[in-house]
Amino acid sequence: MDIAITGLRRSFGRVTALRGVDLTVRGGMFGLLGGNGAGKTTLMRIMAGVVAPGSGQVRVGGYDMTTRSGRRDVQRRLGYVPQDLGFYPDLSPREFLDYVALLKGLDDVTARRRQVGELLDMVGLADVAGRRMKGFSGGMRRRVGIAQALLGDPALLIVDEPTAGLDPQERIRFRTLLAGLAGQRTVLLSTHIVEDIAQTCHDTAVLAAGRVVYTGSVTDLTRTAEGATWQMTTTGAPPTDGVVVSAVTREGGTQYRVISQARPSPDATSVAPTLEDGYVALMRRHTPAPAV
Amino acid sequence: MTGVRATLAVCRYEFRMQIRRRSLWITIALVAGALAAGRFGMGPRYAPAPPGAPAREVMTRWAFLFSVILPIAFGMALADRLLRDRRLRTAELLASLPPGPAGRLTGTFLGGVAATGAPALAAMLVAAGYETVRRGDLTMIPWGLAAFAAVLAPALVFVAGYALVCPLVLTAPLFRVLFVGYWFWGNVLLPATLPTLTGSLLSPIGSYAASWLLGTPVLYAGIPGPLPVLRPEPTGSAAAASIALLVVAGLVPLLAVGLLRGRRRTA
Ligand SMILES: Nc1ncnc2c1ncn2[C@@H]1O[C@H](COP(=O)(O)OP(=O)(O)OP(=O)(O)O)[C@@H](O)[C@H]1O
Ligand SMILES: [Mg+2]
Repeated sequence: MDIAITGLRRSFGRVTALRGVDLTVRGGMFGLLGGNGAGKTTLMRIMAGVVAPGSGQVRVGGYDMTTRSGRRDVQRRLGYVPQDLGFYPDLSPREFLDYVALLKGLDDVTARRRQVGELLDMVGLADVAGRRMKGFSGGMRRRVGIAQALLGDPALLIVDEPTAGLDPQERIRFRTLLAGLAGQRTVLLSTHIVEDIAQTCHDTAVLAAGRVVYTGSVTDLTRTAEGATWQMTTTGAPPTDGVVVSAVTREGGTQYRVISQARPSPDATSVAPTLEDGYVALMRRHTPAPAV
Repeated sequence: MTGVRATLAVCRYEFRMQIRRRSLWITIALVAGALAAGRFGMGPRYAPAPPGAPAREVMTRWAFLFSVILPIAFGMALADRLLRDRRLRTAELLASLPPGPAGRLTGTFLGGVAATGAPALAAMLVAAGYETVRRGDLTMIPWGLAAFAAVLAPALVFVAGYALVCPLVLTAPLFRVLFVGYWFWGNVLLPATLPTLTGSLLSPIGSYAASWLLGTPVLYAGIPGPLPVLRPEPTGSAAAASIALLVVAGLVPLLAVGLLRGRRRTA
């Protein structure tokens, strides 16, 4: 499913969450990055038909999201994992999936049971499928969340910060699972964890204060920091120019990694940037410098 | 058609979740048990029917004994049902699924009401079983069901409408406190003391239905008070009107929320 957004604005009362978003997404796995309150969730909620766009054009798979019928059409082809998804403590994962499947219109009992069973297997919850979700760990709940989204084999999958709060192994399993799903469908992934995007997405967009400040390939975003990523070791004060992205104290002093247009100190060496460096370099351009 | 299916799905799962609440069963069992044990000391109206009384009278007495307090438990148990999706953070997911808010609301109402009524129905059946054995009259069971349908079920529907909707504005704990206050004001307090709906068609304690089933006015049915229109002679048609009014009045808040949510979705 292709997504085409132009001039999208949306406010909640006096807060403007999106102030003119232009974005095109074409199939595969697409990453959405941005700081707290940048507008990622609002954008995803609009694409999921949960909130209506304020103004502007939003087309998802050709359906017009400014109309109620367009939103309904998209919702029939959608899998959505909201940020901070809850669950019913008294239902087992099997029941919860069955409930969501019914609401998605999977009326045939046999087909529904089979699909629920397959998805529980896929996310590794087959053993606890009949247990009430009350005592489930964060990781188990996330897996139920992703399984429910896959019911009905949706063409569009919207996943809002699915790896927040997961341990590293679980996180890696999770993002690999998501990447594997992107083959036949559009997967929209938002996260604060740049590494998740680096490992799974070809294309990405970065939101800042309700605007898209970057859209393009992950490689090009990494290049934003090319020639501006430095490493230096010093026993003295930390570098004042640029943004320190890492500081590791060793015997010979502290090793800093710095994003800065100018060489932060004569003995700093230029190093190859990572996606995180690219992201930091980009955000540095788009956030007003703090008043000193 | 898909709308009906989705409503049934919501109904089914809301029923399942509500009926699994242990607190609901325990509360109803305790209240019904206490009323059954205490009925000898509650005045002649609540005392067991005399030996040889017809099944209709025996079971109606049980129904109006239960209707004094059980509907309070209904209100308590239903107060969190519409708030719950937001509190449990499932509302966002539900909103992303094709069925609209009207179907979800209807399903929640039907499932919640059915599950909340189940323990009360069970209590009536236990009472009917007990009377069947004690009086050797097999018609106790059908009369028990009839009395439940005429006296307790309308109260349940009426209470459910407000118990589901009012907490959206008031929060559940505040609603619960106010609801208990309302219950005694609107059903027990006499109009001679304060203007109240006690004894009117809109009294969910089931005054008119019980009076009709017993053939004699009980629970202040028709006593003079404010809104005389709502206080006709307790006859069969007055009982039917009372049941209809209670059901309609219970559906009004739901309809209001349905319309409001439908509009918000388009906004
Ligand atoms: N329903 C709402 N009511 C009021 N304000 C809202 C609402 N939803 C979002 N906002 C505001 O819109 C802005 C963008 O929020 P949004 O949740 O889209 O950001 P985000 O990028 O997802 O942030 P995070 O990374 O913290 O999840 C914030 O300032 C937020 O307070
Ligand atoms: Mg968010």
